[in-house]
Amino acid sequence: MIDLSKVNAGLWREIVENCGDIRHCFTCSTCVAGCPAAEGSPPLFVRDLVRKILLGLEESLLDDETPWLCVTCSTCEEMCPMGVKPFEVCLAVRRWQARNDESFIPASVAEIFETGHTQPVDRVREKRRAVGLEEVPPTIAKFPEMLEKFRAVLRETDLVKNNDYMFRE
Amino acid sequence: MKYGLFLGCNVPAVRPDVERAIRLSMPRLGAEMLDLEGSACCPAFGSFPSADEIASLAVSAWNFSIAEELGVPMVTECGSCYSSLRMALEKLRENGGLREKVQGLLREKAGREFRGTASVRHIIDVLHNDMGTDRIRASIDRPVTGMSAVVQYPCHTLFPSEVVGFEESSGRPRMLRGLVEALGIEVRPYSRELQCCGGAGGFVKGSFAGASEFAFRKLRAIKAETDADLIVVSCITCLEHLDRMQAELAKKDPSFVPLPVFDYNQLLAVCMGFDPAEVASISTIPREAVVERIRGAGR
Repeated sequence: MIDLSKVNAGLWREIVENCGDIRHCFTCSTCVAGCPAAEGSPPLFVRDLVRKILLGLEESLLDDETPWLCVTCSTCEEMCPMGVKPFEVCLAVRRWQARNDESFIPASVAEIFETGHTQPVDRVREKRRAVGLEEVPPTIAKFPEMLEKFRAVLRETDLVKNNDYMFRE
Repeated sequence: MKYGLFLGCNVPAVRPDVERAIRLSMPRLGAEMLDLEGSACCPAFGSFPSADEIASLAVSAWNFSIAEELGVPMVTECGSCYSSLRMALEKLRENGGLREKVQGLLREKAGREFRGTASVRHIIDVLHNDMGTDRIRASIDRPVTGMSAVVQYPCHTLFPSEVVGFEESSGRPRMLRGLVEALGIEVRPYSRELQCCGGAGGFVKGSFAGASEFAFRKLRAIKAETDADLIVVSCITCLEHLDRMQAELAKKDPSFVPLPVFDYNQLLAVCMGFDPAEVASISTIPREAVVERIRGAGR
């Protein structure tokens, strides 16, 4: 039984600011039918995320790790008959979780802040040379002065400001 | 025609032979691939887009500003990079508030201008619609004969079609098939052709068993329904994942005989006569036998 006197009725405003209008969702489950991650354990059911947001079930949503299973294929976005943008909802729930519980913040954001990349593109020199490429690709990995500016931009964002201990130079 | 080659992270670090194949094969077709010097992660959906919208769009706009300065369309092979960049560009164009905030950040902190004039193309789109299958046919010594393939359409180039699509119908894509057929290789249809590989995002990390079973169903369908000699993809995630998952399946089921997986530009570069040690050298499932059959046809 859900006790609606204990929910956060304004939750949807905190989460879906730039998504489609999730209030149009009528739980038809089209987003689930085409979703690879609906076969996960536990499964990702985007329609359930939408219900939790609309009902204001804050605690349950903050414990829910299923949005992180999303494959990002956007099949749900294509198929949703109500323009709810389920993939955007997944990302928006992740962001809301990351804002409210720092343990949700993915490690890759710190890697990108530090190096500009999610992979060690400047530490595979032999592998690159072996296929006839320059050892460091001409990305931000090759231009330290650009990386410095890149970090200066990111330092102004709420994510880095509020969690500065995570971001190394 | 000039393009800016957007490398992202996985291609230059994990499969640089794909980067080499693109850098060698595209100019042969008349496409000059310029470097987007200083470009960063797209950003990957599991990174900034999952943590902070402004930070995410600022990283995208950083990348756009580099291409805008050169005045060339960005081209990428990685499906995730393609989709992340297209969706960010759409958001920045639609939402004036977000756009101005990001423009201000870039201008004040990095001295960079994001104008919104960038364009983002997937390499299948460029190969099929700018270069064309006639030019591809003419670029190889002799067509491959007696070989068949299945193709893996990158999900990120199909959905949502109104943002990322370039096929006539995202439900019935055909361009990768046409590109493979232009090399003389027959393309076999099968029931799970349009099932995505399942390798992107957090599915594999968060639910390995579920993600494996998902991929195995596709792989088993290929073997049961076709006589394909190889799998052709055009996305770094499809390439790595279908390679890896076949090795996993072969471990569990010794009767499963894996197929070599090629990125399209790798296949094209081999057909053009480039050195396989440079353009198709990194994989889990060995590719040498198929490479030799292709080279035999071309020599």
